Amino acid sequence: MKTLTLNINGKDERLELPVTATLLEVLRSRFDLHGARQTCGIGICGACTVLIDGEAMSSCLMLAVMAEGKTIETIEGLAGDTLDPVQTAFVEEMGFQCSYCTPGMILASKALLKENPDPSVLDIKEYLAGNLCRCGSYQKIISAVQLAAKTLQSEQPLVNK
Amino acid sequence: MSLTAKNRVPMADSWERVTGHIAYSEDQKTAGMLHCKVVRSPYAHARILEIDTSEAKALSGVITILTGQDLLADKSMNPYYGPQIKDQPILAIDRVRFVGDPVVAVVATSVDIAAKALNLIYVDYEELDASFNEVEAAQQGATLIHDVSHKDFLGSNAYFGIRPIPNTNVCNHYQMRHGDIEAGFSQADVIVEGEFSTPTAAHVPMEGHAVIAQFEGEHLRLMSGTQSPFTVRNDLAGVFNLDPEQISITVPRLGGGFGSKLFTRLEPIAAIMAKVTQKPVRFALERDEEFLTINRHPVSSKMKLGFKQDGTLVAKQAELYYGTGAYADCGPNVALKGGYGSIGPYRIEHFAVDSYCVYTNLPPNGAYRGYAVTQVAWASEALMDDAAKKLGIDPLELRLKNILHSGDTFPTGEVMHDAQYERCLKLAANAVNWQEEDWQARSYPADLPDTIRAKGLAVILKGTTTPSRSEAAIDLDAQGNVVLHMATIDIGQGCRTAMAQCASDVLDIPYDEIKVLDPDTAITPFDNRTSSSRSAYMMGGAVTHASSNLKHKLLDLAAEYFEVSKTDLELSEGFIQVKGVPATKKPLSELLKHNKLDKLSGNANYENEGGLDPETGRGIASSHWHQGAVGVEIEIDTGTGFIRVLKCHPAIYAGRVINQQAAELQTDGSTIMGIGSSFFEEVVFSDGMVMNSNLSDYMIPSFLDLPEDLSHDLIELPNAEIHGLGETSLPLIPVAIGNAIANALGVRVTDLPLTPERVLRAVREAQGKNR
Repeated sequence: MKTLTLNINGKDERLELPVTATLLEVLRSRFDLHGARQTCGIGICGACTVLIDGEAMSSCLMLAVMAEGKTIETIEGLAGDTLDPVQTAFVEEMGFQCSYCTPGMILASKALLKENPDPSVLDIKEYLAGNLCRCGSYQKIISAVQLAAKTLQSEQPLVNK
Repeated sequence: MSLTAKNRVPMADSWERVTGHIAYSEDQKTAGMLHCKVVRSPYAHARILEIDTSEAKALSGVITILTGQDLLADKSMNPYYGPQIKDQPILAIDRVRFVGDPVVAVVATSVDIAAKALNLIYVDYEELDASFNEVEAAQQGATLIHDVSHKDFLGSNAYFGIRPIPNTNVCNHYQMRHGDIEAGFSQADVIVEGEFSTPTAAHVPMEGHAVIAQFEGEHLRLMSGTQSPFTVRNDLAGVFNLDPEQISITVPRLGGGFGSKLFTRLEPIAAIMAKVTQKPVRFALERDEEFLTINRHPVSSKMKLGFKQDGTLVAKQAELYYGTGAYADCGPNVALKGGYGSIGPYRIEHFAVDSYCVYTNLPPNGAYRGYAVTQVAWASEALMDDAAKKLGIDPLELRLKNILHSGDTFPTGEVMHDAQYERCLKLAANAVNWQEEDWQARSYPADLPDTIRAKGLAVILKGTTTPSRSEAAIDLDAQGNVVLHMATIDIGQGCRTAMAQCASDVLDIPYDEIKVLDPDTAITPFDNRTSSSRSAYMMGGAVTHASSNLKHKLLDLAAEYFEVSKTDLELSEGFIQVKGVPATKKPLSELLKHNKLDKLSGNANYENEGGLDPETGRGIASSHWHQGAVGVEIEIDTGTGFIRVLKCHPAIYAGRVINQQAAELQTDGSTIMGIGSSFFEEVVFSDGMVMNSNLSDYMIPSFLDLPEDLSHDLIELPNAEIHGLGETSLPLIPVAIGNAIANALGVRVTDLPLTPERVLRAVREAQGKNR
């Protein structure tokens, strides 16, 4: 057992947990954050995606103790009073069917757009290849990411002003 | 009504979906719940000699352990269940019939302790001969997996007659004869035939199966991730000797189903453990267990088609073997649907089919998106192309020559109405610029080029559950709350919003103000099940009529309230007013308050009629038909066997679309699942053991597997019935790609999936031919 502090969605949480616990297990069972989900359990499907220091990671493969000292962002922390632009884009383009993979998709898309604000369709496909959607919403997810990219770019302050 | 911006609305629960606030069946919990896990058979077929649970029972935290013998000894219950044949024991009794068959159930205070306990249970087996191939298993003399002639074995659950073949593993033989098949073939100028196979495939819903069961006295309550709560309720009533009303099942949102969550799955084990422990019990599957629970029927098929020189299809014969696994599940019905599905969307004067549902020592196979049609279309549409080549007729023209039109009689005897196959085919062919050179025999030098491009076509028909029934109710209360009671399960098709839109169309109450609750068999009106792409049509009908029923009641009250005739009233945005007099506008709830009513309800029952005679295989197979065609263009890399799908364009008959984006998603999703079936989806067995029960070894399509240009047509016509479309495009994809390969190489690949190895073998064969 280890006692440590995890920073989840901007809040420091102090807890005691077994060193073998995965971050996914801790998020779901200790913090009731069910947006990160388990489909494959082996880091293939992306349903467990969370952002660790802004990078998309499979929380099923990460020991919770390894997340100490880093920022952990889950889907539940994204929206403030209004939805984040990526979330809004997914709503407008209806980038989901059963929505089980949607939290992972949205977080991975956020990470993509941070790295590459103007991705091509191929960029999007390659970056999100680790997020599976059995319902097959891929086309509309691509549209959602493109719409989010446009929205985010138009919100950028002009650099040379 | 449909082709307006009105049907392009977001999902009513969009906020919950994108913020991770949808609670799926696996997210549900109850205070004090215990956790169940099962020991599974390591053998494909074996007698159970002895089970020693003593060490496991001694483990701290283990509450109870049950075996099949314990269930058999409990005379208050019946340990067998099944939607069509009651052949599946809750836990194996006397013998195990597949690798993965549940043998012992353990309930403990935590999942970890239950898992530990499994390793402390020792089972002694005596191996028996096992059959893995559906054709071999069907033969006389194969080791019997069940006694199909035992009268108690036949269930009354099927809505059609089941016809097993005694002393074999054939639990259902669907046959149909139309015309005189021998005469038909003797009339034919050209005959094509072939043998084909499709493998076992897995559904892989993102969310696995999960159930929580609890007994409260004599009442059994379950939360289940099921697509068919009313069917499960019936099965459990049979198991526990209860009235269906003593069982209530609530269903939250599901993270995908695709048929895997149809019919009874985990509920009996969870329920019996709940009964014995008198505590809530949760039973959920690990990902590898999903592959051991329910899959898609592998099919070996043999077909023969006879044509006149002018291309008239005069005779068709099909022999189909559906491997249903160790327990029938809905296999008998799958074999039936495949039987008439093998006719295809064509007029055929002479037709004969024998479709066998065969036990094998593999995990049970059941309902899977595309239901029986993918496997027969793989053979049927391939042979249409082979015939076209032999006849020297364009495959598009050959199909159009024989395609069903409204008024044509289908070999089942039913008259087809609203037949749009020609429209679908032409749109699909146009989308890929289908031209003469796309089907003419090609000649190549002995060394094939590095890449070859070719196009392929396919057209299918698929039936929907007939007969079936959906009921709906819609309540308005005195506070203005509107609640829609309908039992269609949301598995990703967006039914809650779509059904709210149907109600909104009638009542003119904003669709996102119509509340739709989690179905609960105790409260929600009856629906057969969420399957067969039937819900938009059947539940859409029930909801529309229930809303009309409520509308008329409201108009009656309003006519009195405003002292006008009903025709002088209009509903708008949740309000009612006298036409043209906005000052009279009142909320609908005002009508209730004025009449001192707490609630006003609309109800409706919507049914479709028909069915097939078990002896003749004739009657009404489907009250209306799912219709679609596809055009594909591919590029084969002759060095690696990899195929790029350059263009894929299904043209699907939708009749009337309720929610435009949701309909597009369902069509694309079905197509993409078809891509998976085409190229890499296969459950691989070794001596009956699943070798690829994880998502690294069993691949499902990712973003990188999208056709480079994926588009589709959803065909709508005025006054048309809503047609389900969740499944229609899947069965088209593998065979259209197979046809494109045959066009490219002049070689027919007869087995799915179209792995690079299989494609390379075809390339070698083509090279050999050209030398």
